[in-house]
Amino acid sequence: MFEVRFHGRGGQGAVMAAQTLAEAAVIEGNYAVAFPFFGAERRGAPVLAFTRIDSKKIYSKTQIYSPDCVVVLDDSLLDTIDVVAGLKPGGSVVINSRDKPEDIDLGISVKTAVVDATSVALEILKAPITNTAILGAFARATGIIKLESLEEAIKRRFGEKLGEKIAERNSLAARTAYGKTVIGTSKGIKKLEPKKQWLPTYQELPAGGSLIEGKTDAGLIGPGSFIENKVSGWATFRPLRDREKCTMCLLCWFYCPEGTIVRISDRGDLMTNYDYCKGCGVCANECPVDAIKMVRARV
Amino acid sequence: MITIKELPDENLFTAGHTACPGCGVAMSIRNAIRVLGKDTSVYVPASCAVVFGTTFPYGAWKVPFFHTAFENTGACLTGMQAAFEKKGKKVTSVGFAGDGGTYDIGLQSMSGAAERNDDVIYICLDNEAYMNTGIQRSGGTPFGAWTTTTPVGAKVQGNRRFKKNLGEIVAAHEIPYYATLSIGHPLDFIRKVEKAKNIKGFRFLHMFTPCIPGWKMDPAKTVEVTKRAVESGMWTLYEVENGEKKITFKPGKMKSVRDYLMMQGRFRHMSDEDIKKLQMWVCKKWNLHYKEKGAPEVCEIAPPEEHHAVTEEHREMHGP
Repeated sequence: MFEVRFHGRGGQGAVMAAQTLAEAAVIEGNYAVAFPFFGAERRGAPVLAFTRIDSKKIYSKTQIYSPDCVVVLDDSLLDTIDVVAGLKPGGSVVINSRDKPEDIDLGISVKTAVVDATSVALEILKAPITNTAILGAFARATGIIKLESLEEAIKRRFGEKLGEKIAERNSLAARTAYGKTVIGTSKGIKKLEPKKQWLPTYQELPAGGSLIEGKTDAGLIGPGSFIENKVSGWATFRPLRDREKCTMCLLCWFYCPEGTIVRISDRGDLMTNYDYCKGCGVCANECPVDAIKMVRARV
Repeated sequence: MITIKELPDENLFTAGHTACPGCGVAMSIRNAIRVLGKDTSVYVPASCAVVFGTTFPYGAWKVPFFHTAFENTGACLTGMQAAFEKKGKKVTSVGFAGDGGTYDIGLQSMSGAAERNDDVIYICLDNEAYMNTGIQRSGGTPFGAWTTTTPVGAKVQGNRRFKKNLGEIVAAHEIPYYATLSIGHPLDFIRKVEKAKNIKGFRFLHMFTPCIPGWKMDPAKTVEVTKRAVESGMWTLYEVENGEKKITFKPGKMKSVRDYLMMQGRFRHMSDEDIKKLQMWVCKKWNLHYKEKGAPEVCEIAPPEEHHAVTEEHREMHGP
């Protein structure tokens, strides 16, 4: 049995990638299952999806804890999630990144395939939806499925849901990424420590679950504690403000759903705190004097 | 009247929450709480706002926050306000419920609070479907819209019912203040929240909040789409103060509803016939609200004159 775990962000199509991979395996005469991890997924939040492929019928229904291959649709996840957790010896990793495999530190030295799927997707699909591009890299890196059957699966899956034209472009994205994939070995230096959790005993737990502002070993809790949750990894683009052009109309400050744009009245100035920017682009779209431009984040 | 410049710097709804990029609900919440200020206590029923705003033990709110079940926003607000009054505290109790929690599930509780004219502010964040649970149709879903429970098939495409007129239902309780708001009209938005804050009794603010995944649109267009909605007549900005209705923002020439629909993936499947039907519904609404402007050119079909006559068209629209 060959097991694949997909790490992505909501909206990048990790679930669709898992399903398409399963379909490609079925086209080649194998058995396959694909399913997502169910949680409170939101666009941009880390998500999981799984695919199992076998030549026999598959009876296992659990999540995949020791995959043969891990596919990472967004390299910003590497900073917060131990993607290689449980990876089988001799397994491989496929990452959407602009770096070379040798420059990527996964905590273990392992066969790593890299492709800049975001650029491929932006160029061909005009949207940062990286699922089909990364599947092209997967086919090249593992050889578990042929590129032809992958393209056929994309045509079936996407054609049925989104129409032939979009299917054609997605299939082109897979082919392009297949050609651009670089295979090497990752570095194994860093130690990823799992994020500490606040685990109170029953005596410490407040009545009715009501919390006041507090500080624990795991960080802030209670009102306003989300401020420690950095969400910059969600962004594909980020805004750049031209101070010369800006007329301080404050519309961007008013509209920003994240509170990324901070106003300092004393100085009569605006600041952008990129730690919280999810790159929605509302500020750039609404600026009356076009003083805000969206540029690629994490270059 | 407050302008954007006069709003306080401080964020009472902090950054770092986990809403989708470009979320209309997050925008509305942030600015509403900016105007309402620190002496506010918030209730949120089951909705996106509770998931992205508070994930135990973390929270984005810097004001007291309370959450229990889906259907009791009105009742909880009443209880909160009663407790504050008993303790002699001057606090504004505000409830942020979604359209599912107001149009359908929370209607009885909201109606009760309105009937008692409790001194609270009820805010409905209307994103026109149950978005938190994965886009199911609600009473607020407009005609033709795709949701997972009104799918697009060969025979029937999208939602076949028209958006419920919640404004009339709420106003019929003869409450002191009802207003519709849109984030794309900041001055109108701030003025209405400020006005509601200073009125005593049950106040209802109905906010139009685009949902990026549910409406299947570009996150950068959140604000633009609300402007387009007002220009086309899909959303009207008005207030009802002690039974007196007043239009607070008059758009210029009426724009075709098609422009608004084509910005969103949830409407893109609509047939010409369906768009015509929706346009007729909008025209009726437009004529009702902007009487002096007269029937706009885009209304190809004149609205039926006899309101209560059951015509073939009516039967098709509303069922037998």
